[in-house]
Amino acid sequence: MNANIGKKVLQPLLIVGFLFGASLIGYIFNINGFPETNIVIIYLLAVHMISWLSSGYFWGILASLGATFIFNYFFTEPYFTFSVYDSSYIITFITMTMIALITGTITSHAKKSAAGARQREAETKAVYNLTNHLTDAKEVYEIVGFAVSEISACFMCRAACLCFREDGFPESFFIQQLSDKRQIRREVDNPEEIKRRIERLSMGCDIGSEFYDWPIYGQEAIHGIVRIPIEVAQEMNIAQTRLLHSMIESIALAMDRLRSTEERIKFREETIQERYRGNLLRAISHDLRTPLSSIMGTAEMLMDMSSKQDIRYSLASEIHKDANWLHSLVENILSLTRLQEGKLIIKKQLEAAEEILGGTIAYIAKQWPSYEISVSVPEELLLVPMDAKLIKQVLINLLDNAIKHTSHDEEISISVTKDADSRWAIFVVRDCGVGISKEDIPNIFQLFYTSNTQHADAKHGIGLGLAICDAIIKAHGGNIEARNRTDKKGAEVIFKLPMEVDNNEHVQ
Amino acid sequence: MNMYNENFLVVEDDMQIRNFICYALKQANFQCVTALTAEEALSHLISQQIDVILLDLGLPDFDGLEIIKRVREWSDIPIIVVSARDQDREKAEALDLGADDYLTKPFSSTELMARIRVALRHLYKQNRDRQQQSSLVVGELRIELDKHLVYLEEKEIHVTPMEYNLLALLFKNIGKVLTTGYIINEIWGAGYGRDTQALRALMAGLRRKIERNPAKPRYIVTEIGVGYRMMDI
Repeated sequence: MNANIGKKVLQPLLIVGFLFGASLIGYIFNINGFPETNIVIIYLLAVHMISWLSSGYFWGILASLGATFIFNYFFTEPYFTFSVYDSSYIITFITMTMIALITGTITSHAKKSAAGARQREAETKAVYNLTNHLTDAKEVYEIVGFAVSEISACFMCRAACLCFREDGFPESFFIQQLSDKRQIRREVDNPEEIKRRIERLSMGCDIGSEFYDWPIYGQEAIHGIVRIPIEVAQEMNIAQTRLLHSMIESIALAMDRLRSTEERIKFREETIQERYRGNLLRAISHDLRTPLSSIMGTAEMLMDMSSKQDIRYSLASEIHKDANWLHSLVENILSLTRLQEGKLIIKKQLEAAEEILGGTIAYIAKQWPSYEISVSVPEELLLVPMDAKLIKQVLINLLDNAIKHTSHDEEISISVTKDADSRWAIFVVRDCGVGISKEDIPNIFQLFYTSNTQHADAKHGIGLGLAICDAIIKAHGGNIEARNRTDKKGAEVIFKLPMEVDNNEHVQ
Repeated sequence: MNMYNENFLVVEDDMQIRNFICYALKQANFQCVTALTAEEALSHLISQQIDVILLDLGLPDFDGLEIIKRVREWSDIPIIVVSARDQDREKAEALDLGADDYLTKPFSSTELMARIRVALRHLYKQNRDRQQQSSLVVGELRIELDKHLVYLEEKEIHVTPMEYNLLALLFKNIGKVLTTGYIINEIWGAGYGRDTQALRALMAGLRRKIERNPAKPRYIVTEIGVGYRMMDI
C-alpha cells in the first residue's frame, strides 16, 4: 500500500522534474543560440523518459501536452505567453504533441508486455518450484508444508492449508505460514461447516470471515482447501488468481499421487496379511486335525484289541468319542473364523436339495448309526442356489443338536419344501426332545450362548454350532429360526434359502 | 476275505495314522509297506510288487497328485486317496487323474475296510474282463447291458436312454466315486462344459425310478461337492 501511495506522489514529481530539466537545458540552448529544433528534441526525450518510468498511458499523454505548452510558453515569441506570432509554430506544436504521444504509447506498451513476461516467468517459476518440491514429498503434511510456504512466498501473505481425511471430512487443524521459516498448526473452529460450504461450491472459492478458501480437487475426492487471508485475496488480480489455480492444481496432483501410492501399499500389505492368515488357518487345520485323526484311529485300534466287556474298551471308546467331538469343534471354529472375517466366499450353485439332505444323512448315519432320521422331499426336483458344503455344515450342526436332545427310539425328521410362490426353499429339522426353554429362544443363535437350563455335566459345546448356522444362512440371503413344536414335544429349526439369485450374485 | 495277502503301499507322513492304517490292514491279513515321502513311495513302486496304494495328498516333498499321474502312466493298480475334509477340489482332481476312491480324515477302520473291499473287487474284476458280462446286479437292481434293460425286484422298469447311459456308467464302476465332471463328459461328451444342472435333473429322474426315497438313496449316493457313487450292496 505504501508503494502505491509512493507511486501516486512520484509520478507527478517525475513529470515536473523531467519537464523542468528539459526546460533548463532548453534555456541553456537558447542562451547559446542553438536552434529551437534541438529544444524540441530535448522535450521529446523528456516525454519519452517519463513514459518509460511511469505506469500507464495517462502520464505520458499529460507529459506530452505539458511539454508542448511549456515549449510554447518559454521558447516561442512572444515569450511567457501561450500565444504565437509565427503560425508555422502551430505545425511544430502539433507534430511535437503527436510524436510525444506516439513514443509515449509505444514505450508504455513495451513496458507493459515486459511486465507481463516477467509476471509469467515468475508464475512459471513459482509453479515449477512447488512441483519440484512436491515430487519429493513422502507424506501429505510434507506436501502441505511446501505448498503453504511456496504460496505464502508467492503472494506475500500468510497462506494456510487444511487437509481433508480419506473419508472426505476435514481434519481438526490446519497449517499456516507465520513467517519465512515458521509454520503453525491452528485449530479449525467448525469442520462440518467448512465441509458443507466447500461441497456446495460449484466454482471459484469460498469466502469466509478470515480466509478465502480454494478447494483442492483430486481425481476422486476433495483433498483439502488452500486458505488465503481475506485482505490479500481481495486484492488479487486475474493473473494472480490464475497462478494460484495452477499451484493448487499441482498440489492436487501431488496429493492424488500420494494417495494412490498409499492405497497400493495398503493393498499389498493386506494381500500379505491375507496370505499369512490363510497359512495360519491351514496350519491350524492341519496340525489339529491330523493328531485328532490319529487319536481317533488309535482309540479305535484299542477298542478293536479289547473285548466289549473289558473296561479298557469303554475307556478307549470314550477317548474316541471325545476326539470326535473335538474334531467337530475344530471344524466349527475354522468355519467361524472364515465367516467372521467376512472372507468366506459363498460359491452358490444350483444344487438338488434332496442330494444335500441325502449326503448329510449318510454322513450322520456313519457318526450315529443307532439313530434313524426320516427325510421327506417334494416329488418334483427342487434346485436351490446354495454353497453345498456350507449348507451341509448347517444341516450337520442342526442334526447333531437334534441327536443330542433326543433318545435313540424317538423320531428325528428333516424335510424340504418350497413356499407357495416359489420364492423360498424351506428346510425344517424336527426332533422329539425336551424342546427349547422360553428364555433360550431369542438367544439361541448368538455366538457363545449356552443354555443355563442344561445340566452342568452335559456336553453342550461352546455355543458355536447354531451361531455358525445363522451366519451361513444369512450369508446366503436367507433366515433361520428355532421354536418348539406345536403338535408334540420337541423343537424345530426352520431355515429358508432364496430360490432366486440376486443380480449381483454369480451362479454357475 | 483275502487269500492272496495283497501288498499295500501306505504313503502317509503322519506316524500315528500310518500305524493305524497298517494295524487295520494287518488285522485283515494284508501286507503293508510304508512310505513317508513321495520319493520313497515311487522307489517302493519300482522295486516291489504293490497291489493297492493308500495315498495321503499332503506329502512333505511333492504333491500326492503327482504320484497318481506318474503311476497311471504305466499301471492300473487301485489308488485310494486319503485327504482332509476341506480338500474337495483336490479330491475331485485326484479322482479325475485316475484315483479309484477317497477317504476323508478322520476315518474309521470300518470305512477303510469298505473302501479296500471295493478297490480289490475292482482289481479282480478288471482281470476277469468285465466287458464279457452281460448282466450286472446291485441289491435288487439288475441291468442287462446287451439288451439295454433295467430290472428292479425282477420287474422291468422303464428308463430313458440318457438315464440308462448314466446307470450303466455307474454300474460299470460299482463302489467307485465318479466326479460330476467325469460323468458329464461320458454322457454328454467333452463339448458340453461343466453344467451340473442337467446332470442333477437326470439323476433326480433316475432316482425316482429306482430308489424308494430319493433323499435316502440306497443305490446311488451323492458325495457332496465331488460326485456320485454306486453303492456296493
